[in-house]
Amino acid sequence: MKGLIKNNLYTALPNVKVFFATMILLGIFVIVTSAGSPALITCMLSVIIGFSFISLESAGLENTSKWIRYKLTAPVKRSDIVKSLYLSLLLWLSAGIVFAGISVAVSTALHGYPFDRNVDILLLFAVGIGISLFMGTVFFPLFFLGIEAQYNVFLFISILTGIGIIVGICLLINSFFPHGMTSRQIILSGIAVLIFSALAFALSCPLSVYLFQKKDY
Amino acid sequence: MENILELHQISKTFPKSDFTLENLSLSLPYGAIMGFVGENGAGKTTTIGCILNTLRRDGGTVKLFGQEMQDVDTDLREKIGVVYDGDNFPGFWNARQLSRVMSGLYRQWDNALFQKYLEDFRLPVKQKIKSYSRGMTMKLAIAAALSHHPQLLILDEATSGLDPVVRDEMLDIFLTFIQQENHSIFLSSHITSDLEKVADYITFIHNGRLVTTVSKNDIVYRYAVLRCKESQFLALDPDDILAFRKRDYQIDVLVADGKEAQRKYKDIVADHVSIDEMMLLFIKGERGQTPFV
Repeated sequence: MKGLIKNNLYTALPNVKVFFATMILLGIFVIVTSAGSPALITCMLSVIIGFSFISLESAGLENTSKWIRYKLTAPVKRSDIVKSLYLSLLLWLSAGIVFAGISVAVSTALHGYPFDRNVDILLLFAVGIGISLFMGTVFFPLFFLGIEAQYNVFLFISILTGIGIIVGICLLINSFFPHGMTSRQIILSGIAVLIFSALAFALSCPLSVYLFQKKDY
Repeated sequence: MENILELHQISKTFPKSDFTLENLSLSLPYGAIMGFVGENGAGKTTTIGCILNTLRRDGGTVKLFGQEMQDVDTDLREKIGVVYDGDNFPGFWNARQLSRVMSGLYRQWDNALFQKYLEDFRLPVKQKIKSYSRGMTMKLAIAAALSHHPQLLILDEATSGLDPVVRDEMLDIFLTFIQQENHSIFLSSHITSDLEKVADYITFIHNGRLVTTVSKNDIVYRYAVLRCKESQFLALDPDDILAFRKRDYQIDVLVADGKEAQRKYKDIVADHVSIDEMMLLFIKGERGQTPFV
């Protein structure tokens, strides 16, 4: 598993470097200009979802060589290859969360808390994490089901689906509280988003393993 | 003799391309190099895919080191080195990153040996693999395949597209590798001159079917091509004819025993046969009144 994680890390690294630099600039812009909560929300979600996106994209990048086929000849199980991809997504997602957390902390320290209520920030993190996990949930099975050249389309589908599902969940939750939500209800909603997305992500892994076991390279 | 690799009646169909690998059987003994020869699309890569489980075969068995290799048999795969034609590794990596990944994949990864190969092959460690020449890319793949101390090397068109100098260097490496008795090489290629230099056995494949496996010594010392006029060809014993091919002014006939044929047919010229010519006779030739394969 160690080699597979290193493999995923090195595959993602070129894009991570570019994305990291861009996000640093965006973070500085948002913090220095005191652009307000919409800019901070954009920055937070971009960082969290962006790192996850790169993790997914790097899985497809390996298709540019015979490396996937080569990996199958190495002493690793197919199931471990799939698990390493899921684990890598979680690692990059964690990196995104830390990055976003630092951005929010610095912004708050310089300009004060940008949201109406304390719990709003938790819901935003839950939304970012939820979209990222749903992206992985959709992308990996499609990736192992389809042909290599389609992976860009699968990435696009997975982003749309991830955002769509989270918007759907939020609309559903809002429909239960037509007169606004209390802080406790917001926290519970955030937890619900996290539980749904984590559950879907966890169930997607064995499906991807099954599909990968059937795939010829 | 014990075999490091045994294929028994393996088959694989690709419904979309209408290609079928049909009941292919072969054995590679320990300490030997087998050349796997066939035209493009004959089924060489499919066969290798079935051996390495990158393709799911429809039927048959593959035994490596005496046992069938399942996905969970990672210990068996420790003993196999693989080189594919072209880009084996992501081009945006460098050799150092490749080494770090490989050290995590292979328990027996020998970084010192890998570094030595990189030095011997003059491969820059920090340069991106995509900026390597084709020869350098293939040398890197060979270095990676050898650096975890495999017993069996499986090479799929590893020498194609390389200049003669690099090919010669690679063949020398193969010959060094095979010095150890428990090492073997399965080498698919359509560059038959390479196989003439190093192979102990040649297996011919055509249209997904095994044509024959012969030892190189037999090709050199036993097999022959009779250059016949039509009247001479008609007088030949059909049992002597392995394959024949009509040319402009003569008919080339492949026979299994050149000396015996010369004794039997004194007025017919018998030439030594090359692997190239043998392949052409098997692929483009016929047997009797029906296509040979």
